[in-house]
Amino acid sequence: MFNIILDKELREIIGTTKFAVTFGVCAVLILLAFYVGARNYQVSRQEYEAAVAENIQQMEGLTDWGSIDHRIFLPPQPLATLVSGVSNDIGRTVNMQSRGELRTEGSRFNEDPLFAVFRYLDLEYIFAIILSLFAILFGYDAVNGEKERGTLGLTFANPVPRDQYILGKIVGSFVALIVPLMIPILIGCLMLPVLGVPMDMDSWLRLAMVILAGILYFGVFLTLSVFMSTLLQSSSASLMALLVVWIFAVLIIPRTSVLVAGRSVDVPSVDQIDYEKSRFAAQLWNERMTAMQKWMKANYNDDHRQMRDGMRTFSTEQQALQDEKMNTFVEQLNEQRANKSDLRTGVALSLARISPTASFSLAASDLAYTSMELRSSYVESANAYQQEYSAFMQSKNVDYWGRYRRHGGNDDVEEPDPIDTRELPVFSYQQPPISEAIKASLPDLGLLFMFNAIFFSGAFVRFLRYDL
Amino acid sequence: MLQLLIEKELKAILQSPKFIATFGVCSILIMLSIFIGVREYRASLAQYEIATSLVDQKVAEATSFRNMQTKVYREPDPMQIFMSGVNYDVGRLSQIQSKQDVKLEQSAYSEDPLFAVFRYIDFAFIVQVVLSLFAIVFTYDAINGERESGTLKLVLSNAVPRAKYLIAKMTGAWLGLTIPLLIPILLGLLLLFLFKVPMTGSDWLKLTTLIGVSILYFTFFIALGLLVSSLTRTSSVSFLLLLVAWITLVLIVPRGATMAAGQLVNVPTVAEIESQKDRYRTDMQQDTDEQRHNLWEQVMAPAEGLPREERRAFYQANRSAFRELAEDLQTAMEEEIAEHNRQVNEGLRNAKSEQERLAFLLSRFSPASAYKLTAMNLGGTNTSIKKRYEDQMFAYRETYNSYVAKKSQQEKKARQEAAQKSRNSRMFRMTGSGNEAVDANDMPKFIASREPVGTAIKASILDFGLLSVFTVLAFAGAFLAFVRYDVR
Repeated sequence: MFNIILDKELREIIGTTKFAVTFGVCAVLILLAFYVGARNYQVSRQEYEAAVAENIQQMEGLTDWGSIDHRIFLPPQPLATLVSGVSNDIGRTVNMQSRGELRTEGSRFNEDPLFAVFRYLDLEYIFAIILSLFAILFGYDAVNGEKERGTLGLTFANPVPRDQYILGKIVGSFVALIVPLMIPILIGCLMLPVLGVPMDMDSWLRLAMVILAGILYFGVFLTLSVFMSTLLQSSSASLMALLVVWIFAVLIIPRTSVLVAGRSVDVPSVDQIDYEKSRFAAQLWNERMTAMQKWMKANYNDDHRQMRDGMRTFSTEQQALQDEKMNTFVEQLNEQRANKSDLRTGVALSLARISPTASFSLAASDLAYTSMELRSSYVESANAYQQEYSAFMQSKNVDYWGRYRRHGGNDDVEEPDPIDTRELPVFSYQQPPISEAIKASLPDLGLLFMFNAIFFSGAFVRFLRYDL
Repeated sequence: MLQLLIEKELKAILQSPKFIATFGVCSILIMLSIFIGVREYRASLAQYEIATSLVDQKVAEATSFRNMQTKVYREPDPMQIFMSGVNYDVGRLSQIQSKQDVKLEQSAYSEDPLFAVFRYIDFAFIVQVVLSLFAIVFTYDAINGERESGTLKLVLSNAVPRAKYLIAKMTGAWLGLTIPLLIPILLGLLLLFLFKVPMTGSDWLKLTTLIGVSILYFTFFIALGLLVSSLTRTSSVSFLLLLVAWITLVLIVPRGATMAAGQLVNVPTVAEIESQKDRYRTDMQQDTDEQRHNLWEQVMAPAEGLPREERRAFYQANRSAFRELAEDLQTAMEEEIAEHNRQVNEGLRNAKSEQERLAFLLSRFSPASAYKLTAMNLGGTNTSIKKRYEDQMFAYRETYNSYVAKKSQQEKKARQEAAQKSRNSRMFRMTGSGNEAVDANDMPKFIASREPVGTAIKASILDFGLLSVFTVLAFAGAFLAFVRYDVR
C-alpha cells in the first residue's frame, strides 16, 4: 500500500509542467553555481600565486634583510566559492613584522565594493533561498489541495490507512524532488576537479556534508508545507501563510536577530582598543627614554664606538622587556574584547537559529571553512608564522636597529651581497582539522533534523484526525 | 463608469482577508526596517564620535610633531538608514601620514564579521524583496481569477469597454495597494523625528525621491502581475510564472550579472598593485641612498686624507648642511613616490570602473537592480563612496602634511636653540624632547562633504527612467493581452 502511494506521489509530481519548469530553473542555477565557483577559484588562486610571487620579487636585489617588506596572504579555500560565508569580508593580507601585533587588511569587498552590491550567487544561496521556495511550491497543497480537488475523499473511500497515506505523501514528495536535484549536484561536483579545483578527501567529505545539510534544510520546508496544508482549509490560504513564513524565516529573522542581539552586548570597538594600545605604547616609549637617559648618565664613555655598542645592547634588552610587557598587555586587551565578542556572537546566533535558514547557513559555512572561525584561524596561523619569521630575522642579525643601519652615513662599508629570497621561511596556512568543522556544524545539523521531526510529526498527527 | 469600476476594485482588495494579513506583514516589516536602520545609524554615529575624540586625544597627548600621524573617519550618513548599500563593506578610516598612501581600511564587516554573516536589513531591502512579492500576490489573479469565477464574462456582457475595465483594474489595484503602504512609511519617518536623526533639507529631498522610486518599483510589479494574469488562463499557472519571474528578476539577475562581469573583465588585484608600489619605493629608496652617499662623498671630499680629529671637526661643521640636503633628497623622493602611487591607483580605478559599468549594465535587465542602484545613489552608499572619500582624504593629507612640516620645522629650531644652550647636546638629541604635550590646537580638521543632492538625483535619472519604461511596457503588454483575452 505504501509503495502504491509512493508511486502515485512520484508520478503526480514528476510528470507536471510545474516540475519541469522549476526543476529546469534549479538545475541551471546549480550547474551555474558550480561552474562559476570553480572559475572564481581559479582566478582567486592565480591572484594569490601572483601576489606571493610579486611579494618575493620586490625583495630581489635588496642587500639588507632588515629593509624588506614582507606580506603574507590567505590562500583561497576551494569550498569558499560554493559557500562564500564571510570569506569576502575579512582581510586577506597581513603585513609581516618580527614583533608587534599583526593585522589583517584588504578584504575582498573593501577592495572591490562592486561585488558587495549584489554579492555572490553561490550554492548556499541557491539552497537557502531558492530550494526552500521550491519546497513550498510543491508542498503547500499536499493535503488541502487534494481535498479541494475531491481526490482525498475518493482515496479514503478505499481501505487506505491514514498513517501510510501521509507517510507516503511526505516521503514521495521528498524523493520526487530531491533525487532529480541530485543529478545537477553530482554533475557539478564532477565539474570541480575537471575545472582544476583541488579537492582532497577532507574537502569531499565536507562538501558532502554541506549537501546533506541542504537536503535536511529542504526537508524542513517540505514538511512545514505539508504541515501547513493540514492546518488550513484552502490551498491558497496555506500558500499565503507559507510565503509569509518563508519571508520571515529566510529574509527577516536571521538579519534582525543578529542586529538586535548584536547591539545588546557591549563590545569595545576596535578604535577604543587601538587607542588603549597606542597609549600604552607611548607610555612604554617614555619609560624607555628615561631608562636610556639614566644609563647614559651612568655609563658615559669617551670612546664613542664602545658606548654605542653598549647602548645598543642595553637598548635591545630594554626593547625585549618592553615587548614582553606590550605583548602581555595586548593579549589581555584582546582577550577581554574576544570574550565579550564571543558572548555577543553566541547570543546573536542563538537567537538567529529560530530560523532554519540561519542553521543551514551556519552549518554550511562551518563546513566550508568560511565562518567567522576563518579569521581567527588565519590570525593564529599568522602569529605562529611570526615566531618563525622573527627567529629567522634574528639569525640574520637583524636587530631593532637593523633598519636604520643604512641611514648612518657610514663610508666604510663594502658592497654587500643581495639577499637570497629562497632563505625566507614560507608561510603556509594551516586549515583547522576537519573534526573541528564537523563538530561546529553538528548542533546546526541537529537543529535542522529536529525541525524536520517536529513538522513531520505535526503533519502526521494533524492528518490522523483530518476532516476529509 | 470608470469610477464605479475603480470603486469595485478598491472594495474587493481592501476587504479581502488576504489584504489585511499581507498588509499587516508589510507594515510591520517597513517599520521594523526603519527602526533597526535608525538604531544602527545611532550606533555608528556613537562609534564615530568616540573614534574621532580618541584621535583628538592622542594628538593632544603627543610630545613631538615629528612623524606625527593621524586617522580620519567616514562620518555616518542618515541616508544609510534607508539603504545601507556598501557602507559596511568599505573601510571606515584611513591613516594620514606623510609616507603612507591614503586608503580606506577596516570596514565595519571586517572588524565585526558577526554582522557580515547575515548582513543588514533596511528599507530598500524590504521594498525590493517583500513589497514586490506583495504586489504579485495581489495581482496574479486579477484577470484570470475573475475569469475562473465567472464574473469576468458577466461584467463584460454589459456595455463595459475592455479598455476602461483594464484601466479601472490597474487604478484600483494601484490605489488599493500603494496608498495604504504610505501609512507605515510615514510612521517610519516619524521614528526619524522621535530619535532625533539629524536630517538636512537635501536629505529630505533625497528621501522623498527614494520613496517616489520605491512606489514606481512597486507599480512595476503590479503591472507585471496584471500582464501575466491577462496572458494565462488559470490563476495557478500565472502564479507559478510570476513566482519564477520574481525569483529571476529579484534574486538571480542582479547577482548573476555581477558575476558575469567579474568573469568577463580583468582587473589587476590589490596584491599586485601593492607589490608594484613596494617595488617602486624600494627602487627609489636605493636610488636616493646612492645619491645621498654621493652627496656625502662630495661634502667630505675636501677633508680627504686629513687626520681623524680634523676630519671629525669638518664633519661637525658641515653636518647640518649635509642633513638638510639629505632631507631635501628624501622629501623629493617621497613626492615622486606619492605621484607614482597616485597614478597606479588611478589606473586600477579605471579598470575597476570598466568592470563595474559592465556589471551594472547587465544587471539592469532586472528592475530590482535598477531600483537598488538608484537607492544606493540616493543613499550615498554606492560604490563611488570609496573614491569620494579617498579623494577628500587625499586633499586633507596635503593640508595636514604642510601643517605638520611647518610645525616640525618650528619644533626643530626651538630644540636646536635649546640644545646650543645645553652642554649635553648629544644626549639631549638622542632622548628626544621633554615630556610636555605639543600645542596642536590649530591643527586642520577633516570635514568631509556629502554628495550634493543634485549629483545624487542626476545619477538616478537613468534608473528612474528605466523603471518607468519597464512599467509602461508592462502596462501596455497587459492592455494588448486583455483586449484579445478570451473571457469564456
